[in-house]
Amino acid sequence: MDMLLQFVANGLVSGSFYALSALGLTLIFGLMRVVNFAHGEFYMLGGVLGWFVTTYLGLNFFVGLVVVVVAMAAFGWLVDRFLIERVRDQGEEPSILLTIGLSIFLTNSALLVVGTAPLNIAGAVPNAPVFLGPVVLTQMRLFAVAACAVLILAAYLLIRHTRLGRAMRATFQDPMAARLAGIKTAYVYASTFALGTVLAASSGMLLGSIYSVQVSGGGLISLKAFVVVILGGMGSFAGAIVGGLILGLAEALWGGYVSSGTVDVIGFLIVILTLIFKPYGLFSTQVERA
Amino acid sequence: MMILERNTLLIMAVLAALFPLLVGNQYALHIGIMVLFYAVLATSLNLIVGYVGEFSLGHTAFLGLGAYAAALLSLRMGLPIWATIPLAGVISALFGAAIGAITLRLRGPYFVIITLAFAEVLRIIANNWMGLTNGPMGLSGVVQPALLADASPLAAKRFYFYLALAIAVVALYLAYRFVYSNNGRAAVTVRENRYVAQSVGIQPFAYAMRAFVLGAFLAGLAGGFYAHYITFVGANVFGFAFMVSMIIMVLIGGKGTLVGPLVGALLITVLNEYLREFQELRMSLFGLIVIGVVLFLPNGLMGFLNLRRERRRATPAAAAESHAEAPGGSA
Repeated sequence: MDMLLQFVANGLVSGSFYALSALGLTLIFGLMRVVNFAHGEFYMLGGVLGWFVTTYLGLNFFVGLVVVVVAMAAFGWLVDRFLIERVRDQGEEPSILLTIGLSIFLTNSALLVVGTAPLNIAGAVPNAPVFLGPVVLTQMRLFAVAACAVLILAAYLLIRHTRLGRAMRATFQDPMAARLAGIKTAYVYASTFALGTVLAASSGMLLGSIYSVQVSGGGLISLKAFVVVILGGMGSFAGAIVGGLILGLAEALWGGYVSSGTVDVIGFLIVILTLIFKPYGLFSTQVERA
Repeated sequence: MMILERNTLLIMAVLAALFPLLVGNQYALHIGIMVLFYAVLATSLNLIVGYVGEFSLGHTAFLGLGAYAAALLSLRMGLPIWATIPLAGVISALFGAAIGAITLRLRGPYFVIITLAFAEVLRIIANNWMGLTNGPMGLSGVVQPALLADASPLAAKRFYFYLALAIAVVALYLAYRFVYSNNGRAAVTVRENRYVAQSVGIQPFAYAMRAFVLGAFLAGLAGGFYAHYITFVGANVFGFAFMVSMIIMVLIGGKGTLVGPLVGALLITVLNEYLREFQELRMSLFGLIVIGVVLFLPNGLMGFLNLRRERRRATPAAAAESHAEAPGGSA
């Protein structure tokens, strides 16, 4: 029983990172319809950049996080304006290929620059254990989960209660009408892409401060984000969060009770079953057949 | 188009058949073998990407199934190479039918993700099922054919070159027959406009399925060949690296043409060898190539050449037309 609680706690911790990174993808994939295979690389870049500013430049963790957010927002904006913009409205295939090319380029360029060794990010709080009844967590983990929650809330408020957020929702409902109403849709697309990039990158930096940053791990992160988005429903905010937590829990329980070598298989089984039995996902906002 | 493509393929086959006779260098032969191996893979992926019009990222599933099937049949049951490679293709095709029955119901991004999910599941199984696949250690020492027992290394390379050429010829023959049959034309109609195709009585699912199973069969043959030639099969045959190579080849050469993937296989395999010393730089460069091709050469080299040919043919006609119209315009 104590083991079960511990597995559940671990699953919820990793689930909150899946949720944060999938939230970025649900904006890019679910709303913009860009099948972004470079999402995991944005996550990885967030971690590498976080390592660079905290360990290399010696900045404070929070200042570092702000630097990472600003840098990755600019990066996401530029990627959208210079690359994605050119294949917008051409269907999925060009965007898939474009982002695969981008992900190959980013991974291998990062490998050239920082090498294959895992990078450690100095955390904001000490790594002391915290005892909650039978469950053991570290302060850093609790802090990272709280930070995830704050970022998710910030993204929610941005989309629900700001001018930019209203422009986003209008653009994704009907781009033509949005343009007629005077919304500069090109900027809205770029901002959405930048927001998605920032969410992935901050998730990468937070997780990097608990474990370590692996430059070559981006592919699996992308796939898990896709799993969560498809499970939760394309473009759904709640879906990304619930889906992320479900994936985290399922992986922790599978790893604990079945076998730890095959943990990654659970996400793919989830996506195959979702697409067969519930192709809209759990919380779909659009009525649409896959 | 059909005759031009057929003649180009025949000339390529003759040139390839002469290659080992003119070249006595093992390294050059090895590159030739890899070009043919990738030509089969790219052709099989092209059947799905270019003719079904859906983008599969899980095609390595069939390469890997073929490779493991051939290795297991050879190691556990002692079957000879002329049986293992065709059986590898058949086993792959059976899995293709099962996986296709599930995945081809989905389209667009969902198809991409679910095919990728199947390939990843197979990779993880191959890595963990110690009893069958020997896990991460892989299956080594896949049996060589008996007639190579006391052949020189050069003769062995020549043997494998002609084996690869035979598989490539079979692959292209089947692909050619498929593409220029009613099946192929129906598949192209589905690719171009699904609803028109359905309205004239073409069932998209049935035709997509045939292309998918044929693609799986060809990739399985390539996998079987790979197992015998490299003599080692590990879970990396399911990996994304093979997938990326295949995509780049189909894309650069031009999807939806039979010659395109062959040109792509030749270009990329040679480029790969040329840049062998710069591992990460090479992959970075590949990433940039993919981005560049999508932005500037969306139909690949063959698409680009076809467009130029059509334009050249169209220009005199257009000039004549405007000339004929001119008097009417002035009157």
